[in-house]
Amino acid sequence: MKRLIVFVLVLAVFAGTAFASGAPEGGGITLMQNKPEIDAMLQEYGAIWSESSGVDITIKSVGGGSGADMGQQLRADYAAGEMPDIFTIDGIESYKEWESLILDLSDEPWVDETAVAFTVDGKVYGMPVAVEGWGMAYNADVLKAAGVDPASLVNYDAYVDAFAKIDAMKGQLGLDSVVSMAASAEMGWVTAHHNFNSLLSAGLPYGDLSVVNDLLAGNVDQRRLSEYADWVELLFTYADPTVLTTGNYDAQVGAFATGKAAFLHQGNWTDPNMAAANAGFDMAFAPHGALHSDTDGIFVAAPSFYVINAESDNIAAAKQYLRDLVETEAGQNYMVNEAGMIPAFANVSLNPAGQLSRSVQEWAAQGKVYSWSQYYFSGEFRDGTLAPIYNQFATGQIDKARFMALLTEAFGSL
Amino acid sequence: MNHYQRNSATFWLFLTPVLVAFALVIVVPFFVGAYYSLTDWNATARAGQGLTFVGLANFARTFQDPGFIYSFIVTTIYTIVNVALINVLAIALSLVVTSRLRLRNVYRMGFFIPYLIGGLVLGYLWQFIFNVAVLSVGESIGFLSFLADPERLLLGRVPTAIFAIVIVGTWQYAGYIMMIYVAAIEGVPEELYEASRIDGASEWQKFRSITVPMIAQAFTITMFLTLVTSFKQFDVNFALTSGGPATTFMGKPIFGSQLLAMNIYQTAFTGNDLAAGQARAVIFFIVLVVFSVVQVTINKRKELEM
Repeated sequence: MKRLIVFVLVLAVFAGTAFASGAPEGGGITLMQNKPEIDAMLQEYGAIWSESSGVDITIKSVGGGSGADMGQQLRADYAAGEMPDIFTIDGIESYKEWESLILDLSDEPWVDETAVAFTVDGKVYGMPVAVEGWGMAYNADVLKAAGVDPASLVNYDAYVDAFAKIDAMKGQLGLDSVVSMAASAEMGWVTAHHNFNSLLSAGLPYGDLSVVNDLLAGNVDQRRLSEYADWVELLFTYADPTVLTTGNYDAQVGAFATGKAAFLHQGNWTDPNMAAANAGFDMAFAPHGALHSDTDGIFVAAPSFYVINAESDNIAAAKQYLRDLVETEAGQNYMVNEAGMIPAFANVSLNPAGQLSRSVQEWAAQGKVYSWSQYYFSGEFRDGTLAPIYNQFATGQIDKARFMALLTEAFGSL
Repeated sequence: MNHYQRNSATFWLFLTPVLVAFALVIVVPFFVGAYYSLTDWNATARAGQGLTFVGLANFARTFQDPGFIYSFIVTTIYTIVNVALINVLAIALSLVVTSRLRLRNVYRMGFFIPYLIGGLVLGYLWQFIFNVAVLSVGESIGFLSFLADPERLLLGRVPTAIFAIVIVGTWQYAGYIMMIYVAAIEGVPEELYEASRIDGASEWQKFRSITVPMIAQAFTITMFLTLVTSFKQFDVNFALTSGGPATTFMGKPIFGSQLLAMNIYQTAFTGNDLAAGQARAVIFFIVLVVFSVVQVTINKRKELEM
């Protein structure tokens, strides 16, 4: 028995030291972000920043693909009282969720350098992580061989002609399908988030919410919806049915990267995938042909924003971290050269290496951009209600009329 | 301290860590969760703050949701098919590996290995098989060309997508259940078979009248395990189909292969409606208890006392 007591005591001492050493140290800041693909570069930059500023920084990357997402992790950490000092939000919905503890950043120096900061009622709350964009990525070599001028692709009719022309030459061009489109359950974000946004903002001035507000109020412009439904049908018709109905991200992007599809319905975040697949052709973005009238622009915005936790003990250090990201050479180098992101700040003169990222930068520089308005609809509405409607349309269970009716009904239920 | 007291102290000392762990991760969360299902708990309410008691409102809403009702029906169908298929296959495999087959230990190991692979990995693996490998086989082998038809993709239609989850679930679980049957079959006294051989019983008669009644206890366990794991299926469902393809049920567009566990997950984490998710989990729990109690009672009646 004596031995046992000694054993337990030793165990207790060990446990005590183990827990003590695991306790967090004060003074540092924690950053949580949702892009695991840039985690390694961010960790590296974090170490550099720690050294120059003397403040410890812990970086947590959560999310990606269909796994755990950052919202869930934040909720868990918030409940546990371990909310990070800096975290990212993706738009108005997640802003509303954390409204009570997001700090006003209107007086920060980087505010004047960017046009896409996250603002509510004229106050700046979020610093753009980067700029991203999507449109119809095209294989310039294939389009050239088929005799299609990408500059002409600005409306529905132009796409109808181009798709038909390329489809007729598929064998000759080595293509499996004209457009690489995905609409399976796990790719609901391509249809119900990105493609859906064409209905909301194509052809409208940047930041115009007239269509969004009409839809949220249940007033559906049937003419616009009908033109948009034609566009969706066109994409589904010329897509590879295998990729369309059951393919995942790799299948969709892979078809384009390996030259099996002339168009890809994705954004500039596919640049690393193109590099990994050794895609040796020229590529760029063309606008969506969502309407019969010309919509000469692609969808560009900041996908996520850094926000500062107002309840943090280290607000000054957190603000300094964000400033340094924009103002120091190391910060700019990390953003553009290491992480390959398109900078959202005018004072950064570096260019990203990826072809699609450069294309987004060019469209943005010409001011031919449409907003991302899909975030005005809840994630539940997009993933739980819209995605199944798109999926049924893609698998041919419903026709265009039924598709429009279901969407109208869905907006009516909001 | 006398001998009895010392034993008792040791007993509790060893039991305490397990009891504490069990209480902390099972008992406490269970009751806290049951309480949350009666509140309006949403994602940003800090635990214990700003909760309002809403009675059975979450349960009422749950039973009006076509998505939940649909998931319930589909999960029940899935469970029935899966339990039947796993057990039939497991018995067949266990008979094979307890026969006088050469290399039978190698087979045992081979059939068991899928159980050691995580469900998410299996899901992605089989997604590749169903979407890519099967198509390639169809394209390269002439008389199998029907496999390459995109209209016939297993994951492209609701009934076949659910069957695809059954295939993967069975592939994963049959080897494990086989091991339980193997242990039971090896425990059947050899003299019973000898006696039957002298009486001139056929192989089928031996199986029907000796093996089956003698391993009835194993049936209780395997039926319980397969019933519960099928009902709780989540990881393979999530990785393989993500709930797709979509269908319409009670006039509402929903995902057609979304099983109950995934429906709860979506409600709680995509819909940010944690209280409603919790209410669904409570319903799920009650149904699971009823099903398994009925199943165990029926199976117990058929067990033999030796």
